[in-house]
Amino acid sequence: MAIAARFHDGLVAEVEAVELEYQAMGAVGTLVIRRSGDGAELGRWPANTLYALHGRRDELRLGANGQPAGARVVVEGQHDVARVLATLPVLTEKRRQEAGRQVRLAVTATVALAAVIAAYLYGVPLLASRIVGMVPAAWEASLGETVAGQMEASLGESGGLQLCDANPDSLANRAIARFGAEALAGSGSPFDLDIRVVRSDIPNAFALPGGQVFFFSSLLEQAQTQDEFAGVLAHEIGHVAYRHGMEQLISTAGTGALIGFILGDMTGLSVAAGLGATMIDARFSRDAERQADAFAAQVAQRLDFNPAGLADLINRVGADDEFARALALLNTHPLTEDRKAALEILSQQRPTGLEPPFTAAEWRAIRSMCGATPAAEPRTKTK
Amino acid sequence: MVWGGTEEKPVPVKFTGMRRELGGMLLRGYLLLLPTIGLYRFWLTAWKRRFYWSHTEIAGDPLEYTGHAMQLLLGFLMALAVFVPLYGLFFYLSTLSSQAAIVGYGGVGVLLWFLTGYAIYRARDFRLSRTLWRGIRCDQGGSAWNYAFRRFFWSLLVIVTAGLAYPFMSANLWAYRYRNSWYGDRQFGFVGSWRQLARPFYLAYGIVVVIGAIGLGLAAPMGALDSPPNPAGFPPLLVAALLIGLVFLYYRSRELTEMFSSVRLGGAALTVKVRARGLVWQHALFGLGLVGSYILLAIGGVVVLGIVAGTAFAGGQFDLDIFMQHMQGSLITLLAIIFGYLLILAAFSLMVELFLGLGLWTLVARGATITGLNSLRTVRARDEDKALAGEGLADALNVGAY
Ligand SMILES: [Zn+2]
Repeated sequence: MAIAARFHDGLVAEVEAVELEYQAMGAVGTLVIRRSGDGAELGRWPANTLYALHGRRDELRLGANGQPAGARVVVEGQHDVARVLATLPVLTEKRRQEAGRQVRLAVTATVALAAVIAAYLYGVPLLASRIVGMVPAAWEASLGETVAGQMEASLGESGGLQLCDANPDSLANRAIARFGAEALAGSGSPFDLDIRVVRSDIPNAFALPGGQVFFFSSLLEQAQTQDEFAGVLAHEIGHVAYRHGMEQLISTAGTGALIGFILGDMTGLSVAAGLGATMIDARFSRDAERQADAFAAQVAQRLDFNPAGLADLINRVGADDEFARALALLNTHPLTEDRKAALEILSQQRPTGLEPPFTAAEWRAIRSMCGATPAAEPRTKTK
Repeated sequence: MVWGGTEEKPVPVKFTGMRRELGGMLLRGYLLLLPTIGLYRFWLTAWKRRFYWSHTEIAGDPLEYTGHAMQLLLGFLMALAVFVPLYGLFFYLSTLSSQAAIVGYGGVGVLLWFLTGYAIYRARDFRLSRTLWRGIRCDQGGSAWNYAFRRFFWSLLVIVTAGLAYPFMSANLWAYRYRNSWYGDRQFGFVGSWRQLARPFYLAYGIVVVIGAIGLGLAAPMGALDSPPNPAGFPPLLVAALLIGLVFLYYRSRELTEMFSSVRLGGAALTVKVRARGLVWQHALFGLGLVGSYILLAIGGVVVLGIVAGTAFAGGQFDLDIFMQHMQGSLITLLAIIFGYLLILAAFSLMVELFLGLGLWTLVARGATITGLNSLRTVRARDEDKALAGEGLADALNVGAY
């Protein structure tokens, strides 16, 4: 009734042809390993210490607790393997337990990772603004200078960023600076605003970390009312007040790390890493846009302009095309229709009798500060 | 032989793994990657190694892989401890002035290149120390930092010499790896040197230079290098690239043959014959498999898009506007795109595993014979190596290995 097997004692790299015998003594049986031929006993492995290891099909590799780590009994052949498994049901049972343990480990790890992701998605906007609060303002300001320098270099072909009106004491520049100071007043921002109206045929406006705001001449030309100009400017100042540029940088770094963890590619070189990071970051920046819109609406509680003009101007510059709609899920910009609706709700209860942001003379000066620049096809939208 | 007693015949290494078995395992693994948010990759790696190890048989006894997925997962978590500060550094650098950022990125890149050497060595240590044959465990000594420094400075030298120093680097690293490898209490040896690599390498180097020059010489007058390039000049470049690929595979087969055949273990010696045409055949199969699977995916993709956005294809013509309308706000379409991307990725990695990974292992294992195996019967086990928890850094750095 003995079964032929190969035996390694785990001490010496030797292989012995052995015969296995099962002795059922009392409650716990024993696997007796005898050398083929002379029948010398090489080992006695209690059945409850046995475990099966992964082997090829029709090959059963057995180890035992209490034996050297490498000690193995190897049974080959479908028939013999079936016989051993039938004699030692403990093997099947332990294998099932081990499989269950692995499944539990995988499930636990997955749940933990899912929790980390969920905490990240909901926690980072909060966390990022906390961390931003700890970033020294001077550092953020110097970062803004760097970004501005890089931007000027990249726009170098079209002549860099040339100021429309280089005189800081001109009527237009003073009016804009006063509006900026009033808009930022009370927000507790550590930054000094530096609003620059520059020549460019791209209709755009944006805020850099550290208080620099750029307003492109092409966008100014398309503004029909003070409301529109003041709305966009207040929105950009909102980005400065909330330090969104810095927040975006921090959340991008965090997202990269998280996606890298999921994909096991910490170098973040794969397309999947880029795509995933873009999708998550887009969510954050859409929240930031809403926040900046709300800031513009707050400014409109103190100065007399309609913040919904902001949406009108953006709409005129680049009407939502089908493509923008298609990518809305990926896009960093909320759809302007949605924004306008939200802004109109925010601007419903504005106090009356407020000062307008600019006097008629100032608004005329602002409108003409860039002189005549060639009208261009509107392509880029404001951020 | 006077002292050895009986004369021993060389023992061929057997490999009994089937492509179908590996393919089924990988497909199942890829499916499980989805619900586990990618974490199943540690289990998949463990399964894959069990497959390779258990099907590689020497003198009737297969290798056994004793590693567990959990060890890999823990190792990966530990590697994060290295990466999180690096990430912080990266972030800080990206906010500095342009020049400082470029210098900083360069520094981080060099650091990663250096760490890759460390990771490769540690990963090899992990695999060897979880490799069992005849009940005796392999192991690796030496120092991963030492290996990282060697590899780093050799690669600098290779760059400075335009590749000419490569045979020296390769032989040196092979020697360091094997002279620090152990089977039980017996240390591996390595008798190879750069001289064995010099002839095939410089031959291949010369041929690549000549082919490259001829390819460029033919393509340049046809306008392939102008801006914008003229496509008429591409065929000579493509042919040159293909020929260079063949020369590269020839050299690779020579290096594998020469270096593996220099591995010794006490009185036992390994001989490996890897034929260039075997490597070429595996790569050709890989190319065919890739093209085939992408054609299948493309057909599937068109069918799915036809169902999701059917009217865009009405009248046999693809209408972008209507197509975009269908995309509008449709989460299903977005999911279909992401899923499609994952499928393309999975098909690629499946073909790499099935044809290049399995192909190379098969070629090396089936080309291997061992002499003096009987001398290994006296090898004794060493103490358990408990120091290692996974090979996280290699995983995090994307250092590919079995
Ligand atoms: Zn904005």
